[in-house]
Amino acid sequence: MSSGAANPALAHHFESLEKQAHAQRLGMWLFLATEILLFTALFAAYGVYRFLYADAFSEASRGLATWMGGVNTFVLVTSSLTVALGLDAAARGDGRRSGGLFFLSIGMGLVFMALKAVEYRHHFASGELPGQYYTAGAIAGSGGALFFTLYFLITGLHAFHVLIGMTVLGVIGVKSWRGAYSPEYHVPVELAGLYWHLVDLIWIFVFPLIYLI
Amino acid sequence: MSASHASTPARHGHAAHSHVARYLRVWLALMVLTALTWGLSRLHIPGGAGVAVALAIASVKGGLVALFFMHLYDQRGANRLVFLTSLVFVALLIGLTLLDNATRFPLANPPDAGTSPRQVRDAILGSQPPATPHPASH
Repeated sequence: MSSGAANPALAHHFESLEKQAHAQRLGMWLFLATEILLFTALFAAYGVYRFLYADAFSEASRGLATWMGGVNTFVLVTSSLTVALGLDAAARGDGRRSGGLFFLSIGMGLVFMALKAVEYRHHFASGELPGQYYTAGAIAGSGGALFFTLYFLITGLHAFHVLIGMTVLGVIGVKSWRGAYSPEYHVPVELAGLYWHLVDLIWIFVFPLIYLI
Repeated sequence: MSASHASTPARHGHAAHSHVARYLRVWLALMVLTALTWGLSRLHIPGGAGVAVALAIASVKGGLVALFFMHLYDQRGANRLVFLTSLVFVALLIGLTLLDNATRFPLANPPDAGTSPRQVRDAILGSQPPATPHPASH
């Protein structure tokens, strides 16, 4: 029916580009569901230990640089906006603009990682480390060590996802820039965006739970 | 290629109308809600209400991202179903784990009765070097 049948992006086992796009989106959402549950396991552990060591957790959290977590939230949310605008540009066939917006988002990802690095550096210097390596000693009992165990597991896994997301945005951004996508077919741009939004979505929960106790 | 609407950005068929205005509104709401949750946290709302408020705001923000940035709002049912199913398991995993811990009660034997866990352990393993004091739970 549509002229999409001639599109080189159409794999031979799909009837039409539209069906292919639906399958791709569904596959991505299934993957994102597994990602959500991966983080949920950590959030469950966090919930248990925050419940058991409520005072130690709030004391340890108060020692964090809240402004860095807050600024990083603004940065990630804004990078999600530029990724969404990049998808909009791709849908209008403006690959250059789409790629440019993705590169801008990567830049914000770098700002996020830089702030995280400053924070980690501070924790390393002051002995706020996981488990038996917790030497800060300001908090009685094992609550402080447990807080920083979960802090590093959650923010570390999240930072790892930011790195992967930046790589994905980079690859798709370059292809966009070179004109690989069209208004008829730009699903990869959409899926790269979905991944980045998920990284943002998880941080939206990390910020109040870790920084705002 | 009709010349009449040469400047119209919307094409026929695939390219839907632009979502830019919607994206900007969602972004603004996310920024305001971030500032709100940050500000509220400084009030140190006592008890569990502080966490509840923070999680409620985070859920609204997450909902905005999922619905509009991730386009669940205008996507077909299967993708929404996958997302909602994952949320069901999030609730089960966190809810049941917390319920388990919240409904346990501390061992009822008095600490000096000779049958407290600490003393049983000491009897078996020999007395331990002074352990870190157990912080009061809850």
